[in-house]
Amino acid sequence: MLDFDKLDKAIHEKGRLAIMTLLATRVRWSFQDLKTELSMSDGNLVTHLRTLHKLGLVAQTKEVKKRPQTSYALTGKGRTAFKEYLRVLEQIVKAGKG
Amino acid sequence: MQTIPTQRAEEDLRVIRTLMERATIYRAISAPTALFGGCLALVLAGIIQVREHRWAALAPEVVRHISTRGFAALWLGALVIVLAVNTWYVHREASRDGRPLISPAMKLALRAILPCLAFPAAITIWFFYDGYEFDNELLLVRAWIGFYGLALIATQHFAPRSLVFLGWAFLLTAVLMTIGSRQLEYYSTPLVPNAAMGATFGLYHLIYAACVWRSPTTPLE
Repeated sequence: MLDFDKLDKAIHEKGRLAIMTLLATRVRWSFQDLKTELSMSDGNLVTHLRTLHKLGLVAQTKEVKKRPQTSYALTGKGRTAFKEYLRVLEQIVKAGKG
Repeated sequence: MQTIPTQRAEEDLRVIRTLMERATIYRAISAPTALFGGCLALVLAGIIQVREHRWAALAPEVVRHISTRGFAALWLGALVIVLAVNTWYVHREASRDGRPLISPAMKLALRAILPCLAFPAAITIWFFYDGYEFDNELLLVRAWIGFYGLALIATQHFAPRSLVFLGWAFLLTAVLMTIGSRQLEYYSTPLVPNAAMGATFGLYHLIYAACVWRSPTTPLE
């Protein structure tokens, strides 16, 4: 087993891990789409996104089309952190099997 | 020192994979490829149509001037050109974004599309061996159009809706062409199959390209 400290704790939380995973799949996600896909409450989603934004892992864009819309995307730092998180998880699995 | 059990790590990876597959949007046909393919198909259909008309005027006693295998070969040639251009385009985009050419999303798309292309591929092989003797372009073209539509519809779990609509347009065209076979066969070949190819692979792709030109999606890394 590997050291748990190697895992990024900001990402390791279940809700934030799901958010980071979705953000890794597309250029950007609207708040509504994230909410629908993850079945999270507004408050819960906002809190997680705020945490990720403060850490510089997620960028936030506000647009006003017909109505105000906020969309989210992974930053370069966020993408690197997510890849590193996956790498550590894979190492843990390999070490467990080996 | 805290540790994380292997089982938990495996479970996390499984959740990540499931979420990614569910959320991935992959546009199997990019707008530039559709534009290029559409233009090429229209130009080819136009050339065949004009050539047939011209020869019909010069030698009206000859029913057809382009051979059945020649007709199929021309359209397969167009397919090869479009595939080459698409590969170049995907490679360029992948290099720019630092992604592998064959991304996980592309593999997902290929797994959905390829089974639908097995039957039209078999029909094409049969056509070159035997089928051409019966002037069967209409059958060949219906198989190409219909199964191409099915292949696009098969990507519906991760494709944008526009691509699924395009698939339905192809499939319904093939269905209508099959229902109206007797009427279509009344007209001389290869003009009807050629017009069908121009309308579907040409016009439909151009309409699709115009609709999705400004809606890019990034494949999964």
